[in-house]
Amino acid sequence: MSSAKNDPVKIETDRSWEAGRSKNVTFVVTEDCQLRCRYCYMVGKNKAGRLKFDVARRAIDYLLGARDLVTEPSVVWDFIGGEPFLEVELIDRICDYFKLRAYELDHPWFDRYRFSFSTNGLLYNDARVQRYIAKNSSHLSVQITVDGTRAKHDLQRVYPDGRGSYDDVARNIPRWLEQFPKSSTKVTVSSDDIPRIKESVLHLWGLGIKEVNINVVFEDVWKPGDDERFEAQLVALADETIDRRLYETRSCSFFSKTIGLPYADNNNWCGAGRMLAVDHRGNFYPCVRFLGFSLQKRPALTVGNCFDGLDRNRLRPFLTLDMVTQSPEECVDCDVAAGCAWCQGANYDFAETRTIFQRSVAICRMHKARVRANNYFWNKLGRKLGRDLRAEPQGGEGAGPC
Amino acid sequence: MLKYLLVVLARDATSFCHYEAGGRRRGGADLIPLDRLEAAVLFALKNNLKVNFLYPGRRLGRAYDKLVESVDHVKIAPFAARSSHPGAILVVESSAVPGAADLAGLRGENFILRLRRADLPLLAAALKRLLPRAKRVNVVLADVAGCGEAEYAEYRRQLEKIMPEVLKLSARPDPPELNVLTDRPALGRMNNCEAGLAHLTVGPNGRLYLCPAFFYADPRQSLGEIGGEIAIGNRRLLELKYAPICRICDAYQCRRCVFLNRALTLELNTPSAEQCRLAHVEREASRLYLGRLRESGAGEGLADIPEIAYQDPFDAAVEKKMSIADFKKL
Ligand code: SF4
Ligand code: SF4
Repeated sequence: MSSAKNDPVKIETDRSWEAGRSKNVTFVVTEDCQLRCRYCYMVGKNKAGRLKFDVARRAIDYLLGARDLVTEPSVVWDFIGGEPFLEVELIDRICDYFKLRAYELDHPWFDRYRFSFSTNGLLYNDARVQRYIAKNSSHLSVQITVDGTRAKHDLQRVYPDGRGSYDDVARNIPRWLEQFPKSSTKVTVSSDDIPRIKESVLHLWGLGIKEVNINVVFEDVWKPGDDERFEAQLVALADETIDRRLYETRSCSFFSKTIGLPYADNNNWCGAGRMLAVDHRGNFYPCVRFLGFSLQKRPALTVGNCFDGLDRNRLRPFLTLDMVTQSPEECVDCDVAAGCAWCQGANYDFAETRTIFQRSVAICRMHKARVRANNYFWNKLGRKLGRDLRAEPQGGEGAGPC
Repeated sequence: MLKYLLVVLARDATSFCHYEAGGRRRGGADLIPLDRLEAAVLFALKNNLKVNFLYPGRRLGRAYDKLVESVDHVKIAPFAARSSHPGAILVVESSAVPGAADLAGLRGENFILRLRRADLPLLAAALKRLLPRAKRVNVVLADVAGCGEAEYAEYRRQLEKIMPEVLKLSARPDPPELNVLTDRPALGRMNNCEAGLAHLTVGPNGRLYLCPAFFYADPRQSLGEIGGEIAIGNRRLLELKYAPICRICDAYQCRRCVFLNRALTLELNTPSAEQCRLAHVEREASRLYLGRLRESGAGEGLADIPEIAYQDPFDAAVEKKMSIADFKKL
C-alpha cells in the first residue's frame, strides 16, 4: 500500500448552503418551457400557468409575517418552472420585493437568503438573465441541467420537434462556470441511461463541472438485470476515478462514505412539508412534487395558500413523518439501508391508498447495487491511499470468522 | 381483532359520533335492504361479532325487527324513540336535552350526548340532568373541526363545573361513568374507537365501511360487499403503532377518530390539533378529578395521571422522533 496519507479526497459532495437549517420556498414561476424533456414530470406544458407578481407578493408577505410557524433562521428562494429564466423579469421584481420587505420588517432573513435556480441553461447568456445575475450574484446559485454526453443528453432533453438541446446548453457552460465555479449539476438516471453513466459523469467532469449530483428515478421503471448493469457502470467509474486521481478534485454523489450501513436514525429522508412550493394560484404545497402536474395518479395535495395561510392540520403528517412509520419491515431491518432514498411525492403518488405513509421501494435493488459499487470504491481507494476510508459501522462488529 | 359490527339500518339513523347522518329521501330506499340486513346478521353470527344497530326515530316493520332479534346486539336509538327500544343506548342531541319530565322514570341508562360547539356552555347543565339517570354518559363533540382556544377554555370550564356532581355521584353504589372524566383514571393503555380493526360498519346501502362516518362522507369509500373480501388498503395505518403522534400519547380515553384524522389532516393515522387539544382538556380534567377523588378518600387502585408540559402531543412528537429501537418494542 502507498502511504500517501494526506492525499486530498474530494469525491463526496459538499452540503448545500445552510443545509437543513433554512426554509426552502419554491416558486413555480411558469409551467412553460422551450424543451419537452422525455422524463419531465411536468407533462402539460402551458403558458397559462404563469405566476403573477401579486400572488408572489402575498406569499412573501405571509411567510415573512408568520414568524410563529416559519421559524427557520434563513431562507432559500427556489425558482423553477417549466423554465424559470423565461420569467426573469418577474423573478427580478419578486426578489426586489423580498429584499425590501425583509429590510422594512427587520426580518432575520434580510441578510440570510439565497436565490436558487434550476435551469435548462438555454437562456443563460440572454442579456436580461445576465443583468439579473450581476445584480444578485452574491446571493445566487444557478444549476444548469446537463445530462451527460451529447448522446445521453439528447436522448431525453429535446425541443418540441425532437431535436436535442445539448449543443445549445453546452455553449453556455463556460460562462456559467466562470461566474459560478463551484456549481454542480443534477443528473437523473432511468433504465435506458444505465449504459451511459460512466461516460456521462466523466464527460461532465471534463466540461469543468466539478460536482455531479446523480440519482436514479423513484418510479418503478427497472428491468431485470438493471441492477447488475448499474453496478458494473459504477465499478467502472470507480476504477477510472481512482486510476486518474479524479477523486482529488471532483465529486459524484454516487460515492459516499455514509451509505450502505443500517439505519442509524429514524428521520424522514426529505424535507417535504418543511419546504414549501407556491404555484400561480397562490396555493402552498409540501414540495413541488405535490403539485398536480407532478403527479400521475393522485390529486394535488395543498397545505394552505397565500390568502388564508398554512393549514396547520395538513402539515401535521409531514412534520411527524419518520422512517419507521412509512417503511416496510425489510427496510427498517435492512443492513445496507443508509442512503436508500425515497421521495415523499412519489410515495404519495404510487401508494396503494391516498397516503404519504407508504414508502415506495422500487429502487431497492438499485440501491443495493450502488452500495456494492460504493464499497468497492472506498476499499480500493483506501488501499491506494493506505488508509481505511470505509465508514464505521455502529455497534459491535462481532468476532469475525477466525 | 374484529369484535363488533355496526349496522346502520336507515340513512336517517341516529348519529352517535363525530359525523352527521343523512336525512330521509323522498321515495323511500332509505332503509337497508332486507337481504343485506340478513347478510349482515349472518356475517356477525359466523364471525362472532356483536352487532350495534343504529336506529332512526321511526319503526322499521316486523321483518326488520325479526332479523334484529336473531343475533346478539345492542340498539342505539334517538332519545325520542326510547319507548320503542327499551334497553337501547339513547342518543341525546345537545340542542334538545330532555327535561325532567322526559327523564322521569329512567334509571341506569346509557346515554350518548352529542354536543355541538354552540352548546358547549350548556354542557355541565345537560350532564347534571343526565348523570343521575345514567349508568354511563358518553359525551361526543359533533363538530370538532374549527375549534379554537375559546372552545378549549369553555370545555375545560364545563368539565370543572360538573366535577362536584360526578364526585357526589361517585359515592353511590352504582356510580355513573362519564367518559371524559372517569375513563382516563381507570385506563392503563389506549382505549380508542379502533374503526376498521375492532369493528366494521354496514351502511344503509348494505356495503361495508370503516365506520358510518365514512359512508356519509362518501358512499364510494366502501370496503366491499358483506361476505366478500374486505379491502382495507394500508390497514396498518389504523394501528396505534403506525400513528406517530398517538403512539407517544397517554390521553387513553381519546377516541383517536380515524374519520376526523382523514378529514382534517388527510391521513388516517394523524390527528388534527382540534382532536388532540380537546382530548387533552379531558385528560387534564380527569387528572384534577382523580386528585379530588383521592382527597375524598376514594380512587384507590387508580394509577396517577402525570402532569405534562404540552397540550398537544404533536409538539412532543415533533420535538423528539421515536427511536428505531423504541418503535420495534411496540
Ligand atoms: S372513526 Fe370511530 S370515533 Fe370516528 S366517527 Fe367513526 S366511529 Fe366515531
Ligand atoms: S389526543 Fe391526539 S395523539 Fe392522543 S390519542 Fe387522541 S388523537 Fe391521538
